[in-house]
Formats: sequence, structure tokens, C-alpha cells
Amino acid sequence: MLTLAFDTATAVATVALVDGEEVLAERRSRAARVLAEAHLMLVDAGRSPGELTRLVVGTGPGSFTGIRIGLATARGVALALDVPVAGVSTLAALAAGASASVPLIDARRREVFALLGEPICLRPADLQLDPGTVCIGDGALRYRVLLEEAGLVVPPDASEVHLPRARYHARLARDFGPAELVEPVYLRAPDAEQAAVA
Amino acid sequence: MILGIETSCDETAAALVSGDGHVAASVVASQVDLHARYGGVVPEIASRRHLELVTPVVREALRKAGAVLAEVEMVAVTRGPGLVGALLVGLAAAKGLAWGRRLPLVPVDHLHGHVASLYLEPTDLDPPFLCLLASGGHTLLLDVRERGRFSILGSTRDDAAGEAFDKGARLLGLGYPGGAAIDRLACTGDPSAFVFPVARVPGFDFSFSGVKTALLYAVRALEATELEARRADLAAAYQRALVRALVEQTLA
Ligand SMILES: [Zn+2]
Repeated sequence: MLTLAFDTATAVATVALVDGEEVLAERRSRAARVLAEAHLMLVDAGRSPGELTRLVVGTGPGSFTGIRIGLATARGVALALDVPVAGVSTLAALAAGASASVPLIDARRREVFALLGEPICLRPADLQLDPGTVCIGDGALRYRVLLEEAGLVVPPDASEVHLPRARYHARLARDFGPAELVEPVYLRAPDAEQAAVA
Repeated sequence: MILGIETSCDETAAALVSGDGHVAASVVASQVDLHARYGGVVPEIASRRHLELVTPVVREALRKAGAVLAEVEMVAVTRGPGLVGALLVGLAAAKGLAWGRRLPLVPVDHLHGHVASLYLEPTDLDPPFLCLLASGGHTLLLDVRERGRFSILGSTRDDAAGEAFDKGARLLGLGYPGGAAIDRLACTGDPSAFVFPVARVPGFDFSFSGVKTALLYAVRALEATELEARRADLAAAYQRALVRALVEQTLA
């Protein structure tokens, strides 16, 4: 099982090449460079794109455009190679990289995407977490001061727990199937639709 | 065989074309109904829909052509201009496809795509020619000297012709997209009932804001019942003015 996993939903993208349980390589990247990185990783491992047997892609939440680049890339590669795809929540992958912590992704507009049982979008002040709870992710970094004032713990800026790492996407992946069935997790309606409802 | 993918605005499209200009399949999934209630294309809604449709339109094109992916030798994709978020969906999918099959990926200028459509059957046009490109988003006069190159002689100074149709339709209380709505109504109207000015712009540029303003004043000058009765005439006269602006500048 040669798995290519990637997530482009947040500012720093991640790519990993996993053979069975073994992580052959993992790199930070940018959304537009994911396949270029994947190619280098395959070459380094002495493998080729045609040998990939499945894909794992981060489904967000995060940047709408970032999520779509990831899913569209996965759909294109899956169509080309005829391989199945599994989607993994970007929040779940973050959580898998740091046990007993709450992942927060910057949602702009003074809100964060949080994994509290299920993924939700809310203001950081409305989190209502027990003091001492560890918060990770670019949302935790952005609202560090506010979170720390509420008694929450945010690891140092340079800690890698704040970035999604595609090895965890590969580890969490279940239910491989057609790429088109892997849905984006936007958690927000387009502005025009919100306006139309209001 | 070349696979082309286009996602620059509100249509998700894929086509399979052979080197000699034969179109083996062309599939266009329009989103016009999705955007109609907003009176224009909403970029985020368009991008979401492109993601849903981009690989299905490619599959459908292959099915229609009776072809398999292994027969595709090259992938071409619109790189712009257009809605950035929408373009990125097509680019990412095309890149994934090309990478997976180790095919060359060719980013194509959207306007060049419009021009190149004339090289395909059944038109089979060969440069040099003068090209008036008037679609929803653009109004351009192009000098096409050879297949791979063209230069822009003139463009609009304000709205594209398509936008002028949309805005006129809104003034007349018609639906979106405006071009089709105005055209339908104009069939029953008298184009000479109203006279709207056609802007004289120096050089080869276009301008439609004057015609639009003239329509606005004409609409305001009419009582509600009278407006209702004369809407077809207004649509016909407005359409005539826009088309005259396009044609006269092209033939100038
Ligand atoms: Zn166009």
C-alpha cells in the first residue's frame, strides 16, 4: 500500500508518502507545490506516481480556496491513476499530532474552526474550555493572548504541533472510495447565500 | 488527442480535440441557474460548483468521445483571466490529471481560447483575421495575425457588452442573465421606438455606460403602466444600440 497524503487547507500545506505503516517522507509545502513535492519524495524513495495505490486528502476546515485545491488535485490524480481516495478532517489530523489538545484553525473574521466533538466555527472567546487545556493550530497562535488569559495553554510558536502533518492524515484515513465522494468541509455558507437568507 | 479544461467563470467545461481540429467531445455544465437569484456570478458559489463538476465533465467528455484517458496526449487548462478561486479548481484538477499520467500540461489564456475556437471545425478559420470578442465578461477587438498570437486593438472603457446587457435587464425588471432576457423581449418590440446614443470613442475602444444611462432616464421618465406597455420597445432599442456600438466600432 503506497499512500500519498496531503492537506492544503491551511497556510502551510503538508505532504507525506507512506508505505504501509512506514512514513517514507513528509514535507511542508504550499498548496500549488504539493504535487511537485510529492514527485520529489517519490523519486527519493525510488518509486513513481504510477505505483501509488491510494490517496488521502485533508478536507478542511480552513481556507475555502485551499480546501478546493486539495480536493481538486486529489480528484485529478485519482482519475488519472484510478486509485481510491479517503478524506480526513484537517482538525482531526491536527489533534492526532498532539494528544489531549484542542485544535483551532484560524477562520478569519475573528473566528476559529474548532474540534469539540464535531467541527464548529465560533469566536475564540466562546470556546468555554477548562483551564489548563492545551490549544494547538494556527488559530491558537493567532489568539494566543486571549486564550492564555482564559487559563488555556498554547505551546511555543515554533512547535510543530501547530501545523497539520500529512502522516496523521494517512494514519487516520478510513473508507477509501471514489474521489468525488470526498466532500469539502467548509463550515460556512458563501456570503451571498447568507445575505439571501437574512 | 488533447483534453481541455475550463473553469474561469460560471461554466465547468471539458473537451477532447484532435490535432487536426476535430472536436471529439465538448461538455459544458452551466451554473447560470445557481447564480440567477443573485443577479450575477457569485465567485464562492461558482468555485464550489466547479469542484463538484470538474472531474465529472472530464469523464463525460471521455464517454461522449468513446475514448479512454490513455489516449489523451496533453492536458490544456485555462490559466486566466477569470475568477481566481474558480480558475484554481480547474488548474489543480488538470495538474493532478497530467501529473498522474505524466502528460504535458499547457496553461492557456482564456481569451486565446476564444480565438482558437475559430481554428476548430466547423469554422476552420486561418489567420490573419479581425476578431470581435463579445461575451459575458469581455468586449475586445483583436488583430489575429497568426495562430499562436494576437494583439488587442481595442477594449471596453467601462462595462463589457455582457454586463451592459445584465444591467439593462435589471433596469427593465428582467431576469438574469440579461442578454437572453432582453433578446427574448426585444423580438416583440420596435427598435426605433426609442433612440439611444451610441458612444463615439476614439481609437478602437468601446463604451456602453452612455447607452445604459440613456436607458435609465427613459425608464424613469415613464409611468409604471406605461413602462410595462413599452418594455419590449425599450429592450429592442437598447439591444440595437449595444449591437450598433459593437459593429460600428469593428467596421470603423
Ligand atoms: Zn470568455
